[in-house]
Amino acid sequence: MADEEAGKEGEKKIVHVYPLVKHTDMNEEMRIEAIELSITACEKYSSNYEHAARIIKENMDKKFGIYWHVVVGEGFGFEVSYETENILYLFFAGNLAIVLWKCS
Amino acid sequence: MATKPGKGDGKQVKGKRTSKNKTEGPGGGGGDADDFDAWMKSRQLLKPDDQLDLTEAELGEEITKVLTPTNTNIVRNLVVYNFKEGEFVLAPVPGNTVTLIAFAGNSLHVDSEEGRRQIEESDEIGYPLPMPNYTVVEQRETDNVDGEEGEGEEDDDGATAKDVAAEDEDVEEEDDEEAKGTEGDEGEGEGEGEGAANVDTQTIPPPRSQFGGNVLQWIIYDSYMENFAESQKDGTKKEDRKGGKREKKFRDKSAIAEQLNKKYLKCWQILERMINQNIYDDIAHDYRYWEDPADEFREGEGNLLPLWKFQYDKTKKMNVTDILFNPSYYDLFAVCFGSHDFMKQTNEGYLCLFTVKNPSFPDYIIQTDCGVMCCDIHPTYPFLAVIGLYDGNVAVYNLREDCKEPLYVSRGVNCKHGECVWQVKWGLDMADGEVNFFSVSSDGRVFNWILMQNKLWVTTIITLYRENGLVDGPDGTKVTLKSGGSCMVFHPVDNKVFLVGTECGYIYKCSTAFSSKYLMTYYAHNMSVYRIDFNRFNSNIFVSCGADWMVKVWEDMRPDPLFIFDLGAAVGDVKWAPYSSTVFAAVTTEGKVHVFDLNVNKYKAICIQAVVPKRKNKLTRLSFNEKLAFIVVGDEKGVTTSLKLSPNLRMMVKPPKKQLYLDQNTLQIGKLEKLLSLVRELPEGSNVVPDAATTVRS
Repeated sequence: MADEEAGKEGEKKIVHVYPLVKHTDMNEEMRIEAIELSITACEKYSSNYEHAARIIKENMDKKFGIYWHVVVGEGFGFEVSYETENILYLFFAGNLAIVLWKCS
Repeated sequence: MATKPGKGDGKQVKGKRTSKNKTEGPGGGGGDADDFDAWMKSRQLLKPDDQLDLTEAELGEEITKVLTPTNTNIVRNLVVYNFKEGEFVLAPVPGNTVTLIAFAGNSLHVDSEEGRRQIEESDEIGYPLPMPNYTVVEQRETDNVDGEEGEGEEDDDGATAKDVAAEDEDVEEEDDEEAKGTEGDEGEGEGEGEGAANVDTQTIPPPRSQFGGNVLQWIIYDSYMENFAESQKDGTKKEDRKGGKREKKFRDKSAIAEQLNKKYLKCWQILERMINQNIYDDIAHDYRYWEDPADEFREGEGNLLPLWKFQYDKTKKMNVTDILFNPSYYDLFAVCFGSHDFMKQTNEGYLCLFTVKNPSFPDYIIQTDCGVMCCDIHPTYPFLAVIGLYDGNVAVYNLREDCKEPLYVSRGVNCKHGECVWQVKWGLDMADGEVNFFSVSSDGRVFNWILMQNKLWVTTIITLYRENGLVDGPDGTKVTLKSGGSCMVFHPVDNKVFLVGTECGYIYKCSTAFSSKYLMTYYAHNMSVYRIDFNRFNSNIFVSCGADWMVKVWEDMRPDPLFIFDLGAAVGDVKWAPYSSTVFAAVTTEGKVHVFDLNVNKYKAICIQAVVPKRKNKLTRLSFNEKLAFIVVGDEKGVTTSLKLSPNLRMMVKPPKKQLYLDQNTLQIGKLEKLLSLVRELPEGSNVVPDAATTVRS
């Protein structure tokens, strides 16, 4: 049936938008906080990743000590050294990657 | 100043004297006797052996004693040898201060420098300091002390030797303490003198790690898919963390339970069928194989054998409003339940799908909130059922899913019929494959409904305006009268053409291509047309029935009917048989089924059989099975009866001996054609109208 096929096709193309933690070594508390913060910022400034990154960085600096670095983007590569237990690599909204790490 | 009591005390507690009395001591010896006498007189007290005996006069003598702030023990003429000048010079007189006791404590004031330093070192203020540790200091007799003692002896006039001795002790004690004090001070000074030492420490830098990666859209997508698959596989942990997904999990669970239930249901249905087929074994055979042997001896007559009664508890008091066999499954038929009585409308309706393999319970049950008036099952998708409701709505159900919620339902005031929907028909799929259906209603409109992705799209095909139907409205306006549609049928060959029966007895031939004209108007009946059905073998022939007791057979574009039959009661339904071109059956409100075979008898039915009691019940609808020789008829009590057609009712054409190769289909067409030619040549039969089209809005 025509519309049934369409329904199946629709199922295939599910777009996942939930935050997906790809890599992290943070402790529970920090991780939850960081994820929360990233989501809020990226949802709020979905059109301006630079602004979102800045917000995340500033908030992380305030909460967990200074010299956090944040990258928000749809396509990039990175190789960073960070203070152990201070990195989060997160996918969000289906097309967004957020990396935040601390290194003083 | 008189200090008598002081002296008395001094005498009595001589042995226990403290250093406090020392200053008074030198001048206190004279007053002792007075005190003592006073004591003796008043009280008989023991007196020491060595007490002085003084006369009354001596005791009464007043001795004046002056206390000065001068330290009498200080040596005033102390000299020191000056080596520079070569002579003795007077040493400076020490001050009047006498240190009685001095020892270094180890309590420090918080604000003092030492205190601050210690706080810094210990890093905490509330730290309890160690208990003081007194060190015993060696006794030392100094010259200074000796001198002092000597002085004391000189000054003290009336003091006894013992007194002096006592004082001696006191002084010694004092000195001890002085010495100790100085030593303690020295010790402290040494401690201070040690100075600050530099201690360096260096912190270990926090451990660092390396991490890197690439972000690309497909990497993100893949990660999501992987994660999603994982969470679906062992869904519990991830979903627990994300609270929002709990509901979904619950839904999944219930879906699983439902699936399980469906499986069980299927098992039970099979079991039920088996039991039923065991119980009604003979009937089950009859409906396939029974042939009435009496037919051989009855020329031109047949009969009907009742097989089963199909009913459902909840529809016992409802009318059967439509019966339709599933085009794909010959044993499955749909029965609509509603009410034909305007005054007795129930607020529920049912569409039940029974199978002849299980007469006890419907296979599918669809419940609606008002009477179901008609239904149609899609010829290509036999699971799609559309129903028309009494309130003017239409709904599409998918029988493969649960029958609780419709797949589509018309909503809103403008997207529905204004009155009862009398017939729905699936149309041929649109050019772009969209499934669509048509509906006709008492409100005089024919709608086309297209099943879009998520809604029903409705268009008006035609509004059934009456010719010359313009009448005066209440305030000078003109009102165009409409005739309410009561049934419709599509031309079997030309998919654009359809016939609509109306409540005023006309049959309009219309086309879906345009809505302004009727292709033809048949003045068919005097009352509402209940059913029109095209012949299966000749698409120019159709039969109609109505409330005016009439059944008429028509040829396309011929304004007069070919055959007219009066059945003596309102005819609820008429259908052509699928197996023969000349057989049709009709049901009447008298409860009778009439079966005609025009080839056998052109004037009356070859079988008239009462199926339900005349007074109590009426037959409403009828349907031929496409494959087997039986019909089902519905009545007003919600019962559907299946009836076996006897052999005489399904006479096949015997091919002539010269044309044995002809198949039944050709023979049937030929049979009908032969019959028609007889009728057409009737003298009163007028010719086919060359152009019968009329404009709808004149």
